[in-house]
Amino acid sequence: MAVAERPTTTRTGTDGLSVRRRGLRSFWPQYAAVSPFYVLFLVFGAFPILFSVYLSFTDWDGIGDIKFVGLQQYAFLLQDSRFWNAVSNTLIIWVISTVPMLFLALVMAFLLHQNIRMKGFYRVAFFIPNVTSMVAMAIVFGSVFSDSFGIVNSALTSLGLPTVAWLSTDWGIKITIAVMVVWRWTGYNAILYLAALQAVPDELYDAAKVDGAGFWRTFFSVTIPMLRPVILFTVITSTIGGLGLFTEPQILFGAANGNGTVGGVNEAGMTIVLYQYNQAFSQLDFGYGSAIAWALFALAAVFAIINWRLLRDRDAVPRVGSRAARRRTKEVAR
Amino acid sequence: MTSPRPGGAPGRPPSRRAVLRAGFAGAAGIPLTAALAGCGQGTSISSNPSELVLWYWNRSIAPSLLQKAAQQIPGTSKRLRADVIGGAFDSKLRTGFAAQAYIPDITAVNSNAALYFPSEDQFVNLDDYGAQDFKDDYYEWKWNLGRTPTGRFLFFPMDTGPTGFFYRSDLFEAAGMPSQPDEVSAAVRTWDDWIAFGKQLRESSDVALAGNAVMVFNQFVNASPQRYFDKDDKPLFHEPGSAIREAWDTAVKAVRAKVTRNLQVENEQNAAWNSGKLGANIEGAWWMKVLSDTAPDLSGKWRIAQQPGLPGNSGGSFLAVPKTSKDPAAALAFARWLTLPENQAQSYNEIQLFPSAPKAFTTGLMADSGGFFGDQDPLAFFSTAAENVPTTFISTYENQTTAFTDQLRVVESAGKDPDQAWDDAVVAVDKLLKKRGVI
Amino acid sequence: MSAPELTRSSRAQRDRLHVVRPRRSRQWVLGRVVTHGCILVGVLLSLFPFYWLLVMSTSTTAQIFSYPPNLLPSTHLLQNLRNVVANIDLLGAMLNSFIVAGSLAVLVVLLDSLAAFAFAKYKFPGRDVLFAVLLVTFLVPGNLSLVPSFVLMSELGWMGQLQALIVPGAANAFGIFLLRQFAQSSIPDELVESATLDGAGFFRTWWSIAIPMMRGGLAFLGIFTFVTAWNDYIWPLVVLVDPGRQTLQTALAQLNSVYTTDYGMIMAGAVVSVVPLIGIFLIGSRHFIANIAAGALKG
Repeated sequence: MAVAERPTTTRTGTDGLSVRRRGLRSFWPQYAAVSPFYVLFLVFGAFPILFSVYLSFTDWDGIGDIKFVGLQQYAFLLQDSRFWNAVSNTLIIWVISTVPMLFLALVMAFLLHQNIRMKGFYRVAFFIPNVTSMVAMAIVFGSVFSDSFGIVNSALTSLGLPTVAWLSTDWGIKITIAVMVVWRWTGYNAILYLAALQAVPDELYDAAKVDGAGFWRTFFSVTIPMLRPVILFTVITSTIGGLGLFTEPQILFGAANGNGTVGGVNEAGMTIVLYQYNQAFSQLDFGYGSAIAWALFALAAVFAIINWRLLRDRDAVPRVGSRAARRRTKEVAR
Repeated sequence: MTSPRPGGAPGRPPSRRAVLRAGFAGAAGIPLTAALAGCGQGTSISSNPSELVLWYWNRSIAPSLLQKAAQQIPGTSKRLRADVIGGAFDSKLRTGFAAQAYIPDITAVNSNAALYFPSEDQFVNLDDYGAQDFKDDYYEWKWNLGRTPTGRFLFFPMDTGPTGFFYRSDLFEAAGMPSQPDEVSAAVRTWDDWIAFGKQLRESSDVALAGNAVMVFNQFVNASPQRYFDKDDKPLFHEPGSAIREAWDTAVKAVRAKVTRNLQVENEQNAAWNSGKLGANIEGAWWMKVLSDTAPDLSGKWRIAQQPGLPGNSGGSFLAVPKTSKDPAAALAFARWLTLPENQAQSYNEIQLFPSAPKAFTTGLMADSGGFFGDQDPLAFFSTAAENVPTTFISTYENQTTAFTDQLRVVESAGKDPDQAWDDAVVAVDKLLKKRGVI
Repeated sequence: MSAPELTRSSRAQRDRLHVVRPRRSRQWVLGRVVTHGCILVGVLLSLFPFYWLLVMSTSTTAQIFSYPPNLLPSTHLLQNLRNVVANIDLLGAMLNSFIVAGSLAVLVVLLDSLAAFAFAKYKFPGRDVLFAVLLVTFLVPGNLSLVPSFVLMSELGWMGQLQALIVPGAANAFGIFLLRQFAQSSIPDELVESATLDGAGFFRTWWSIAIPMMRGGLAFLGIFTFVTAWNDYIWPLVVLVDPGRQTLQTALAQLNSVYTTDYGMIMAGAVVSVVPLIGIFLIGSRHFIANIAAGALKG
C-alpha cells in the first residue's frame, strides 16, 4: 500500500482503462468488504477440495505414513458395488422424496392461497418441521416407524392392513428416510409457493375467467407458468439437499454400536455422504474417503451444470415473457 | 501452546503434516498455518496436569470405582476424569490418533484389541512400567491377548465375557418346554438340538430364541477356537468346513426353522425382550446388566443355561495407555487398582462384569444377583463356563469381515439365497482384504 | 372478501347467497370444507411427530416399547429429564450450541451485509467476475471435503474446538446473494450517493445507511443462520472429538448411541434439543417466513 502515487498513463488512452487503473486503489473498501468470503472460501473451501485431490491418490489411515497409490482408489471405486449402491440409493431417495414433496407443497400452497382464516397459524405449523433438529426427529421417526412398537404399524393393523418392516427392508428403509425428508421440507416449499402465488397479479386470473377457462385450465396455463421460477428454485435446493443426505440415515442406520449394518439391512439406506463418512471416519481410509468425495463432486457438478442452465433460464424470465409476447404478436399477425 | 505437536517437532522426518503444510501455504498463499497452528492445544483432553482422562463405554467400568478414582487414583497423586464414549468407540479413538488431538490418557479397549496392532506405536508398552509384576493375578489366556505380535504389552486385562444361554423360564414353562436350567442345558446340547428346541417353542407359543440370525452366527464364532483368520492374519473362511462357514450354515438353519425373529435394529430387540416375543439370548456375562436395564420388570423370570457346544467368550475388555498420556505410570496404577480382586468383585456386583482375576472369586465379596435370575446364582454358572472358554485370537482385520453378518441379515430379512449371499460375502471381504494389503 | 362473509353469519347475507346463487353457494361451502379438511390434515401431519415426541419423552422405556402404543402422554418427563442431566452435560452442550449459532449469526450478518452492500451499490473492477465466482460456489454442495477439512483442522489445532465450527462459516455465498437482492431493492441509490457526497466513506455508509435499511433482511439472515448452525450435525460430528465439548446435536446423538436401553431418557434429550429453537423460531416466525419466501422469489 505504501507505493508512491504514480500517474497512470495509458497508451491507448481510453478513459475506461485509466479510470480502472486509478480506481483499483480507491476501491479498497469494496474489496475489503467482499474479501472475507473469498478468503474463507479459499482456506476452508477451495484448499480442502484441492487437498482432497492429492489425498485421493494416496492410501492413508490418518495415523501412519501417506502412501502414494496413483489411481488405485478410483479403480477400486469403479468396481465397488457398495459405492454404486450408495449412489443409486441417494438418487432413489431423492426422487421418492422430492416428487411427492413438491407436489404436496404445491397443493398445500394452493389451499392456503384460498382466502381462509388462521393463515398465519397454518404457515407457522407447516414451517416448524423445517427448523427442527434432524437428529432429534430421526430418533422420533425411528420409533414412529418401528417394526414392532411403531405407531405406523399399529395404525396399519387397526385398519386391517399388514404391517411393514419399515426399518429392515429395502423399500421400507428408503421410504422411511424419504418420509422424513418430505416431512421436513414440504412446509418450507409450500411457503415459497404460496408467496409466489400471492405475487401472481389478479388480472391474469380475471383474464382467464373472461376467456372461460375452467379451474384446471387456469391452474395449468396461468398458475404453473407463473410459479416456474420458484419451482426451479425448490428443485435446485432439494437437489443440493438430496445429494448431501446424511443425518437421517446416520442416526437411524449408523450402527454406531457395531451391531447392525451401517446404512441398514442390505445397506438400503446407505447414502453417498454416509458412505464417505463411514469409509473416512470409521474405516479410517482417508484416501478412499477422498476418492468418494470426488465422485460425489463429479455427480454434484453434473447437477450443478443442469441447475446452472435452469438458473440462467430463470434469469431470463423477462425474456420468456417477451418471447411469449412475440408469439402473441405473431399469432395476431397471422 | 507449549506441548509440541508430533508432526511439527524438529528433528523428525518430514511427515504427512509437512506435506499438508506445504500444500496449504502454496494454495492459500498466506502464512496462515504458521500463525494459527501455534494456537492449537496439545493432544491431551484435560489441561489440568493432575487429571487423567479415561475413555470408556457405558457399562464397561463400575460407576462406584470411577467415582473413587475421580477423587484420587489410589497410590498416585492424580485424579481421574471419566468420559463415556458413545457408539463407534474405536472410530473415535482412531480419529483422535489421526487428529493428534483429544487423546485420552487412558482408554478402554474392547476384545477386538488387535485392531490397534498396526498403530501399536500409539500406545505405551506397559512392560516399561512394570506391568509384568502383576501377571500372575490374571487368567493367562486373557493376559496373553494383551501382547502384540511384536512382543509389546499394550492391553491390560479388565473383564472377560464367558457366554451363556439366557432364557425366560416362565415362557418356556408356559409353552410346555423344559424350563429348569439343567433341563434346558440338557435339551440344547448341540446347535441342532437348540434349533429343534426353538422351532418347537416358536410353533407352540410364538416365542423366538434369537433376535436375529447374526446373534446365532456371532455366538457360534465366539465359542469356536478358530475364527476368521489365523495368527498370521491369513483368512480361514475360504476353506471348506471352516468355523465361519459352519457358523453361517447354523445361522441359516436357525432362520429356516424360524428360531430367529428378524429383528435387525437394537431397539426392536429391546422391545421384543420386554414384550416377550423374544424369550432368550446367548451372550456374555455382562449382558445380565444390559438385560436388567432393558427389562427391569422381568426380574425373577430369567434363567441361564449352557449354550449349545462349549461356552464362548463375547467381549471382555482391556485398558490401554496412549503414548501421549500425561502420566503412563499413574495410568497403569489405575488399571492395576481397578482390576484388583476386590475391585473386580465390586464390578461384578455392580454391573456384572466377569472378573479377569481368578482371585476375585475367593474374596468372598461377590454377591448374588438379587433375584433377577430367581434362585439361580449366575456367578456359579459363569465361573464354570469361564473354565471351558476356548482361547481364541481376534485378528486385526476382523473389522473388514462385516460382509458376512451384513449378508446374513439380507438372507434373514429379504430371503436372499444363502449360497449366493455367502459367495457375495466372500467376494466383498476378499475385495477389502486386497485393498488393505492382507491378501 | 370471502373470509368476512364466512365469519359474518348474518341471516340476511346467507339468505341473499341462497337466493342469488344457491348452487354456487353449496359448492362453495363444500369447497371450503374440503380445503380446510386438507389443510388440517397437513397441519396434523406436520405437528404429529412433536406430539409423539412429547408422548414418548413422558413415558418410561417399557411404556414406549408396549404394543399397541400408548397414545397419550404419561407422567415421567421429569424423571427422564433428570436421567438426561445425570448422564450427559446437556447444559454445557446447549451453551456450546448457543455460542456457535450465536457467533455465526452475528458474523454472517456483518460480513455478508458488507459484501452484499458492496456488490449491490458499488461498481468496482472485477465485481461481476467475483460475483459469478460466488454464484458458482453457491451451487457446489457442502460435505465434499470432510477428510481434508478434518486434516486442516487438526493441523490448525482446532480439533475439538468451537472455532472450527464458527470460522469457516463466518461468511457465506447464500447470505451475500440474498442480502444483495435486499440491498438492491431496499436502498435507494440516491441515499448512498448523497452520503458519499457528504464525505461518508464506504464503511460509514454501510453502518449508517445500509444496516438500518436492510434490517428485515439482516434479521432473517441472522435467524436463518442461527437455525442452520444449531441443527448442523455432520461437521460437528467430525470435529468435536472431545466428548466433554459437544453441541446439542452431537450430544443427543451420543446419548442415543450410548444409552440404548433407556429410550425415555433419549426422548427427553430430544425434547431439550428441539424446544429452544422452536421458541426462537416462534418469536421471529412471521418475519422469518415472509422473508424466506421473499428471498427465494427474488433470488
